[in-house]
Amino acid sequence: MQNTINSKKKKNTFLSPIFSILNHKKIVPIIFLAPFMTVFIIFKVYPVILAITMSFQEFQGVQSQEWVGLTNYQNVFKLVRFEQALKNTTLYTIGTLLILIPLPLILAVLLDSGRVIKSTVFRTLLFLPALTSLVVAGTVFRLMLAQDGFLNLLLSNFGVEPLRWLEVSDLALPSLIIVATWRWTGINILYFNSGLVNIPSELYEAAAIDGASPLQMFWRITLPMLRPTTFFVVVLSIIGGYQVFVEPFIIYLGGAGPGDGGLTLALLIYRTAFTSFDFGTAAAMGVVLAAIIFVFSLIQFRFFGVLKED
Amino acid sequence: MAEQASEYTETGRGNINRQSLISKILFFLLFVALAIIFIFPLYWMVISSLRPDGRIFVDAFDIFPTQLSLDSYRRLFAEEPFIRWIYNSIVQTGGFAIMALFLCTTGGYALAKFDFRFRNLLFILILVSQMIPFHLLIVSLFLMIIRFGMVETYWGAIIPIAASPIGIFFIRQYMLSIQDEMLDAARVDGANEYQVFWHVVLPNARPAIATLFILFSLEYWNNLLWPLIVFRQAENMPLAVGLTRLVNQYRQEWDLVMAGSALATLPIILLFLFLRKQVMQGLAATGSGVK
Repeated sequence: MQNTINSKKKKNTFLSPIFSILNHKKIVPIIFLAPFMTVFIIFKVYPVILAITMSFQEFQGVQSQEWVGLTNYQNVFKLVRFEQALKNTTLYTIGTLLILIPLPLILAVLLDSGRVIKSTVFRTLLFLPALTSLVVAGTVFRLMLAQDGFLNLLLSNFGVEPLRWLEVSDLALPSLIIVATWRWTGINILYFNSGLVNIPSELYEAAAIDGASPLQMFWRITLPMLRPTTFFVVVLSIIGGYQVFVEPFIIYLGGAGPGDGGLTLALLIYRTAFTSFDFGTAAAMGVVLAAIIFVFSLIQFRFFGVLKED
Repeated sequence: MAEQASEYTETGRGNINRQSLISKILFFLLFVALAIIFIFPLYWMVISSLRPDGRIFVDAFDIFPTQLSLDSYRRLFAEEPFIRWIYNSIVQTGGFAIMALFLCTTGGYALAKFDFRFRNLLFILILVSQMIPFHLLIVSLFLMIIRFGMVETYWGAIIPIAASPIGIFFIRQYMLSIQDEMLDAARVDGANEYQVFWHVVLPNARPAIATLFILFSLEYWNNLLWPLIVFRQAENMPLAVGLTRLVNQYRQEWDLVMAGSALATLPIILLFLFLRKQVMQGLAATGSGVK
C-alpha cells in the first residue's frame, strides 16, 4: 500500500512539468486548435498556394513542370470554350437568382403568415428534394427531360409541341435551372423562414394600428428586416451557381450538352484537369473562377452594407 | 397578433371570416399543388425503378402502374458491386462525420472560450476560406494525395475535406453560449483543461454535435466531386460515384440507375422524417448565423 502511493507520487512529480505545460493558459488553446489548423493548412491553405503557383507552370506529366509566366492565362482567355463556359455559368447564376430568391421568399412569407394551414407539413414536403444527392437529381431529370420523357408527354397533353430539352443548345440552361429550382427552393424557404421568425411581431402590430395593408407591411417591414438573410442567400446562390458541376455532368453523361450549351466553368476545369491532364491551364481557370466569386461576394458585402454595420 | 385580430372583428366578423376562409382554401390548394410538383420527381423515380425491364420510356406517362417488378433491383445487386458501394458509403460517411466533428469541436472550443493573439484574424481567415471554390483545389489536392499514397483510400477521400469552415463556425457559436462559470467551477474542483473539455464542454454541446453529425453525414453521403477524383476502382467507390459510373457507361441502363437512385435516396428521406426538426433547425442555423 505504502509503496504504491509512493510510486504514484514519484510519477506525478516526474511528469508534473509536462502536465503544467499542457495545462498552461497559453498552451491549451494551441493544442485544441492544432488538429483543425493542421488539416486546414495542409489541405486548404497550401493547395490554394500550390494552385496559384501551378497556374504559372506548364506540366509534362505529373512530375516535371516549367515556369511559363502568364501563358496559361493568355491561353485561357483565348479559348472559345472558356468564353462559352463563362457565359453559360453567368447566365445560369443569374437565372437561378431570378427564380431562387423571389419564389422561396414569397412562399416563406405565405407559410409564415398564418394564412396557410399545415404550413410545417408543406415546408417539409418542399424541403425533401434538398435531401437528394445532386447525382440522383441529375439522373431523375435526365429521364424526365428526355424527348420521350415525362415532361414532354405532359406538355403534349396541353397541346404544347414536345421540346428537345437535352438536344437543343438553347434549352440546356433552362433545363439546368429547372433542376436547380426543384433542388433548392425548399432550402431557401428554410433560410428565409429563419429570418422571418426573428422579425419582432410588434412591428406588424404597430403597422396594423396605423392601418397599413399586408402589401405595405411586406415592402416596408418584411423586406427591409430580411436584408441580412437575403444577403446571405444571394451570396450562397452566387457561390453555388458559379460552381455548378454535378447536374450538367450527370445530365449530359459526362459531356457538356449539344453545342456546349451545358458547359460550365467547373465542368471545363474538371475536364481540362482529368481528361486533357493540362494541370497548368486547369489551375489558371480555377484562379479565374475564385477571383470571380471573390469579386461578386465583395460587391454583395458592399451592396448590402454588411461591412459598414460592423 | 392578437391585437390585429381584435381590430378585424370590429369591422364585421362574418364577412372577414368568409373571406379568410376562401383565401385559406385557395392558399391551401396552391401549396398542395406545389407539394405535388416538388414530390413528383421522387415518386417518379420510385415507380420507374419498379417497372419491368425496358419499360421506363414506353410507360413514362403511366403514373399509377399496376405491373410492378423488382427486376431492376435484382439486376443491380447481381451485375454491379452495389452492396460494396453501400458499405463504402456508410463507412466513409461515418468516418468523415466523426473526423470532421473531432476537428470542429476541438477547434471551435478554442475559438469560443480562449483568448489568444490573432484569434479573430484566424476566425475570419477560416470563414473567408468558405468562399474558395473547390475546383480551384482539385488539381493540387489530386497531386497531393498521389504524393501521400492516398489515392483509392478512405483516408484520401475523408481527410482533405474534413476541416469544415461552416462546421467550426457552427460549433463555436454554440459554445459561446456555454457559461464560463461552469468551466471555472470544474477547474476549481481540480479538473485539468482536457477533463473540462471532455466532461463539461462536450456534454453541454451535445445538441449542436448531434445536429452537425447529421449535417456532415448528409453532406458526405450526397457528395460527388472529391470521391469521384479519389476513386477509380469500382470496389472502393461510395454510392454517388458508383451511380455516376453507371450513368457514364457506353450504354446507360436507366432501369438500374433508377433503382440505385431510389436506394440512395429513400433511406435518407426515412431518417430525415425522424430527425426533421434537428436537420431543418441545423441547416437554418448554419445559414442565418453568417451575417
